Amino acid sequence: MERLLLGLDALNLLEQEGFSVLKSLLAKDENEATTIASEIGFPVALKVSSPDVIHKTEIGGVKAPVNDEDEVRKAFRELVQNFASHNPGKRLDGIIVQCIGRGLELIAGVLKDHQFGPVLMFGLGGIFVEAIKDVSFRLLPIEAKDARGMIEELNAYRILTSPRWKGIDLGIVEDFLLRVSKLVEKHRGIQEMDLNPVFISQSGIEICDARIKIDFS
Amino acid sequence: MALKEKLKKLFSPDSVAVIGASDSFDKLGYHVMKSLVKGQYKGKIYPVNPRAENLWGIKTYLSLRDIPGEVDLGIIVVPAPSVPETLHECSKKNVKGVVLITAGYKEIEDSKGEALEREIKEIAGRYEIPIIGPNTFGFVNLTDGVNASFTYEFSLIKKGGVTLISQSGGFCHLCGFLAMEERMGMAKLMSLGNRVNVDFPEALSYFGEEDEATKVIALYIEGLDEPRHLFETIRLVGQKKPIIAYKAGKSEKGDSASRFHTGSLAGNYQIWKGALRQSNILEVTSSEELIDTAKALDICAPLKGPRIAVLSGQAGPGMIAADALEDGDLRLARFTDKTQEKINGLLPPLAIRTNPVDMGPAWYSPETMLDILKMVLEDKETDGVIFIAMFASANLEVTRTMEGLMENIEPFEKPVIACFTAPSGIWDKEITRMDGKKGVAILHTPERAAKAMANLWKANLMMRQ
Repeated sequence: MERLLLGLDALNLLEQEGFSVLKSLLAKDENEATTIASEIGFPVALKVSSPDVIHKTEIGGVKAPVNDEDEVRKAFRELVQNFASHNPGKRLDGIIVQCIGRGLELIAGVLKDHQFGPVLMFGLGGIFVEAIKDVSFRLLPIEAKDARGMIEELNAYRILTSPRWKGIDLGIVEDFLLRVSKLVEKHRGIQEMDLNPVFISQSGIEICDARIKIDFS
Repeated sequence: MALKEKLKKLFSPDSVAVIGASDSFDKLGYHVMKSLVKGQYKGKIYPVNPRAENLWGIKTYLSLRDIPGEVDLGIIVVPAPSVPETLHECSKKNVKGVVLITAGYKEIEDSKGEALEREIKEIAGRYEIPIIGPNTFGFVNLTDGVNASFTYEFSLIKKGGVTLISQSGGFCHLCGFLAMEERMGMAKLMSLGNRVNVDFPEALSYFGEEDEATKVIALYIEGLDEPRHLFETIRLVGQKKPIIAYKAGKSEKGDSASRFHTGSLAGNYQIWKGALRQSNILEVTSSEELIDTAKALDICAPLKGPRIAVLSGQAGPGMIAADALEDGDLRLARFTDKTQEKINGLLPPLAIRTNPVDMGPAWYSPETMLDILKMVLEDKETDGVIFIAMFASANLEVTRTMEGLMENIEPFEKPVIACFTAPSGIWDKEITRMDGKKGVAILHTPERAAKAMANLWKANLMMRQ
């Protein structure tokens, strides 16, 4: 049986497997949202949580940064109203209140290619992946030299090594890619997976959003 | 008999039967006979044709079973419907391996082709007989002088260490003829055709493991159903020889139906590119780059570091080489003080004497140019050299002197890629004689020399892993 894990479900699975994910909680109403936001600490991001929406940004389902309790209430209402008017018939489970990601955006992903089998993809997130498709691939499983190679062969490699991001330890990125490889070896049912975006900063690497297609049979 | 022994008999046969031999120019059987006879094959040739007694001055047999001696290789050029019966006969005759030139199998639109191919695959499997093809031009073994193809002219390629395993016969013709133009020495070239039971993994393990004459393996790949087999083979046999690959079919799109980012970005070529690198296969992206890289890998010593000296008879081409080097992860060497002093002692301060070295002032003294080359090769801060000279009436003697002094530049164990350009007829003989000697590879332009040097470096890094 194939299932699509989105948002919190996907993040929870990854967290159970030892990955760091941005702190995220589901709020059913405005009050709950403000409480969670205060706990996490401002600014936060608010995102719709729906099993029927794969790309939240495309439907205007994300508000960030949200800086105080009033803004949380306003953002909550707008997200709910906007969702209801533009997505008739789709289910809304609530609004995710999430810690804001800091640092450089990365993307990692897995797919099962009909010729090559499981394949790992890596790149810088945002415009690098959207506009110039600057990504690298390796067949899974990978070794340390492959993780290094995936980082070095990006056109944007110079950005990763530029003084602006000098606190970033590329060893952490390598280790992250190796852990994704191990995850796919462990969960053979993973058919496709996007970890996007993933934030890397001086304080480490954290997954912000994920979607996983998994075959449980 | 194990597969590798059968492949040895197939690629280096003591006897060859041509089933479908002919003396009529409009039959492929004619051209295969021409390749063997004019290609001066030293073993026994047995033409087989039920309607002839003598072809190409050689006694001809009605059928395989009439041949008195052993047959190592059977080259089949009969029409597709007769092939299954011919394969049964090959088995009875204990033929060790087959080149099946006949076309008309799964590559054709008619579905009968596919059925015929299944049939021969089944027969080949039953008798465990390795088949190159069907739908192949054959192979050429330059090491042992066996031209088992329908193009005699491949026999004119210089002998050397490059082996080409191609998914296309046309690409073998392109590369084979370029190899002649570029004086690249080859060991073997073959087209796999429809790959009934000899595919990239089998060919690669044979030439990688069993064939001593093969020093560098070049692959031309269009697409494979199970590409992981190829990469697993490379991992199993290990990589003792550099492998380079040219992958065609770059436009195939990713899975546009996928709603995931990864799926929509994963173009077939992008995955190939990553997988080649993962297996330490050096990817090239043009025929010229394939030839230049394979030739340099075969001829030159390994490039053990990224520091390159550019010595040029003219400043401009030297500068071009220097620019191109820096695009490819290499850098200009900084000579030791001792080397620099020696160079300064030989060249007047009329031109740039640091790297790239403008040897213009030494035009009338080619010996000086060679002295500089020797000093730079001895310099411990230099890993490889690009040596450039454009013809001018005044420097006519450069190549002749260099040829005379080649002995002096050995042993150095550092790669030298040279680039001599002159109107045709002026330096041709010297270039032809020098190319490939003493570890010197001569390529066409400074850019191509720099690219090949960069690939020597990549190959060295890959072989170390």
